[in-house]
Amino acid sequence: MAVIIAASVAFVGCQKSSNTIKIGLAAVQSGSDAAIGATMLNGAQIAIDEWNAKGGVLGKKIETISLDDEAKPDKAVNVAQTLVDDGVVAVIGHLNSNCTIPASRVYSDGKVIQITPGSTNPQYTEQSFPYAFRICGRDDQQGPVSGAFLHDVLKLNKIAILHNKSSYGEGLATEVKKAFEAKGGTVTMFQGIGQDESDFRANISVIQGSGAEGFFWGGMYGQGGPLLVQMRQAGLNVPFSTGDGCFDHAFIDTVGANAANTYLSFGKDYHAIPAAQSFLQKYKEKYQSDEGAYSVYGYDAANVLLTAIAQAGTTDPDKVSAIMKSQPFDTILGKIQFDAKGDVTQSGYVIWTIKDGKFQVVPGNS
Amino acid sequence: MSSGSTLTEILINGVSRGAVYALVALGYTMVYGVLGMINFAHGEVFMIGMFACVYAIGIFSVAWGNHVLLNLGLGLLVAMIFSAGYGYANERIAYRRLRKAHALAPLTSAIGISTFLQYFIFLTVSKQNVGFPRYYSDMLTSNHIHLGGVDITYLQIAILGLTIVIMTGLFYLIHFTRFGIALRATAQDQLMASLVGIPVDRIIAFTFILGSALAAIAGVMVSMYDNVLVFDAGYRVGLKAFTAAILGGIGNIPGAVLGAMILGLTEALTTLGFGSEWNDVSTFAVLMLVLLLRPRGLLGERVADKV
Repeated sequence: MAVIIAASVAFVGCQKSSNTIKIGLAAVQSGSDAAIGATMLNGAQIAIDEWNAKGGVLGKKIETISLDDEAKPDKAVNVAQTLVDDGVVAVIGHLNSNCTIPASRVYSDGKVIQITPGSTNPQYTEQSFPYAFRICGRDDQQGPVSGAFLHDVLKLNKIAILHNKSSYGEGLATEVKKAFEAKGGTVTMFQGIGQDESDFRANISVIQGSGAEGFFWGGMYGQGGPLLVQMRQAGLNVPFSTGDGCFDHAFIDTVGANAANTYLSFGKDYHAIPAAQSFLQKYKEKYQSDEGAYSVYGYDAANVLLTAIAQAGTTDPDKVSAIMKSQPFDTILGKIQFDAKGDVTQSGYVIWTIKDGKFQVVPGNS
Repeated sequence: MSSGSTLTEILINGVSRGAVYALVALGYTMVYGVLGMINFAHGEVFMIGMFACVYAIGIFSVAWGNHVLLNLGLGLLVAMIFSAGYGYANERIAYRRLRKAHALAPLTSAIGISTFLQYFIFLTVSKQNVGFPRYYSDMLTSNHIHLGGVDITYLQIAILGLTIVIMTGLFYLIHFTRFGIALRATAQDQLMASLVGIPVDRIIAFTFILGSALAAIAGVMVSMYDNVLVFDAGYRVGLKAFTAAILGGIGNIPGAVLGAMILGLTEALTTLGFGSEWNDVSTFAVLMLVLLLRPRGLLGERVADKV
C-alpha cells in the first residue's frame, strides 16, 4: 500500500514538473450544436499554435486537451473532472450555458481558470467563483438589445416568444420578454419546447392565432433553422428574431431562401477590423472553411489567458486571476476589461441580419 | 385570424404529427405481434432510411440532373432497400439466436444494436444536423390545398394518406392472405407452425424486412416534414412511436395508428391550451391513465386470447 502511495505521489510530482503547460478546450463538438462549438475551439487552438510558434509561455510549450461535452450538463461535469484530473491550468469553454454553469463548480473546486467564449447566461458569473471569466456578453445585455430593436426599430407592439427550455434559451427569452414589456409592448405567447423536438407546427398555429407581429426564438440553430423554415412554409412571414445561438453558417444553410426578415443579436462586426484579418486568413488556411462566429471569441479568450499567465510569471490561478481582473487586454474585438465578477465591462451587442447568404450588421444600430 | 381556425389548424397539425408517429409505431407493433419482443433498433432503421434517401438523391442529381419526381422516387426506393437490409441483418445477427432465450436477452441485444447503429452513423455519416434538400421537398411542403379556412400542405396529405394505406395494407396482409395465416401461426406457436410446414425463419425475416422498408418510408417523410436529419432522430421519434404503440395496444395494427393519433393530438392541444413545455407531462399522463384502465392498451388483446 505504502509503495502504491509513494509511487503515485512520485507520479503526480513528475507531472507537475513536466515541461508543458496544459490547457483544456471544452465544448460541444457533436450533435446539433457541433458546428458552433467546434469553430469556437478552433479559434482558441489557432491562438495557442501562435504562442507555441513563438516558444510557448513561461518557457514551456502549451499542450491542449480537447474534449466534447455533447451539450449535456452531466457530460460537461465529467469533462471538467477529467480536465482537472489531467492537471490543466486553465480551460477555454464551454459553449452551452447549461454545460458551463455546472462545470464551473468543478473548475472552481479544482482551482482551474475558466474562460467561456460563448456562454451568455448571467448565472455563470453570478456564482462569484474567483476563477470564472467570460469574454462574450451576458443575456441581460443581449436580451434588451433585441427587445429594443423589435419595439423601437421594427415598431412592433405584439411579439410571440418560444424557447428551448435550456439555461441559455429560456434565460435569453426571459430577458427579451422583460425588455419588450418594459417598452410597453405585449408578449402574446411565451412557451418552451423540448430540445429533441423538430416539428413546430402546433406552436406556429398558436403564434398565428395570437396575433403576434413579430417572433423571438431563444435557442440554438439546430432547431432555429427548421423552425424558421416551417414558419415560412405555414405562411407566417413576421420578423424572426433570435440570439447568438443561431449565429452560425449552418443556420443560413438550413434556412436557404427563407432567410429574409431575420434578425440576430450578436457581438460587433469583426470583419472590418484590421487586427482580425490575419486571424481570419489563418482560420481559412487551417480549417478550409470560413470562421464560425465564436471562433474569434475563442481566439481572444486564449490570447487573454496566455498574456495573463506570461505577465503573472506563473500558472498559479490566484495570481493569473488577479492580473486578469486588474488591467485591460488588447483583443481582436478591441480593448476589454474584466470586472470583479469576471464579465467584460463592454458587451457590444448589435443586431445582424442575413443578406446574400451572409450575416451582416443592420445599418444604423450600435 | 379567428380562434376557430387556430383550433382547426391545431387539429390538423396534431393529426399530421400523429401520422408521423404512426408510420414508425407500425413497425414496432408488427415485430411485437409476431415475436413478442420490442425491437428498439427500429428507430435507427428509420433514421438510416432518412440518410440513405438524401445521399441517394445527391448521387442521382449529380449523375443525371435534378429531376424532382424521378430522383425522389428512386431515393425512396434506395432508402427502403437499405433499411430493409439493415432490418434483415439485425434479425439475422442480433435476434435469431436469442429467440428461445430469456425475454431479457433479445431486449438487451436490441438496445445494443440501437446504440451501435446510432453511433455508427454518427461516426461515419454525420455528426451534425443535415437539412433535407429543399429543391426536392418544396413541391410537397410549399403547395397546399385550402380547406375550411386552413391550408393543408401536400406533404401532410401524403403522410396521412400513406399511414392509412399502409395500415389497411398490413391489416389485409395479416388477416386475409396465406402469408398472413402463416404469420399469425408463427406468432401463436413457432414450434407447431414449423411442424405443419411453415418456414418460420423466413416468415420472421420477412416481417423485419417489411417493417424496416416501412420505417424507411417514414424516415423520408419525416425528414421532409421536419426539414432535418440527425443521427439520433430514431431515438427522438422512436420513443414517441413506441409510446404510441403501447397506448394503442402493442401488437395491434390499427391500435398503433389510434395510439399515435391520440399522442399527436394530445401534444398539439396541449401546445394550444397550456404551452408546449407541458407536452411531456400531458402525453405521459394520458398514457398512464389509459394503462390504468386498460393495461394492454386501447385495442390490445386480452391475455387469455394468446394462450
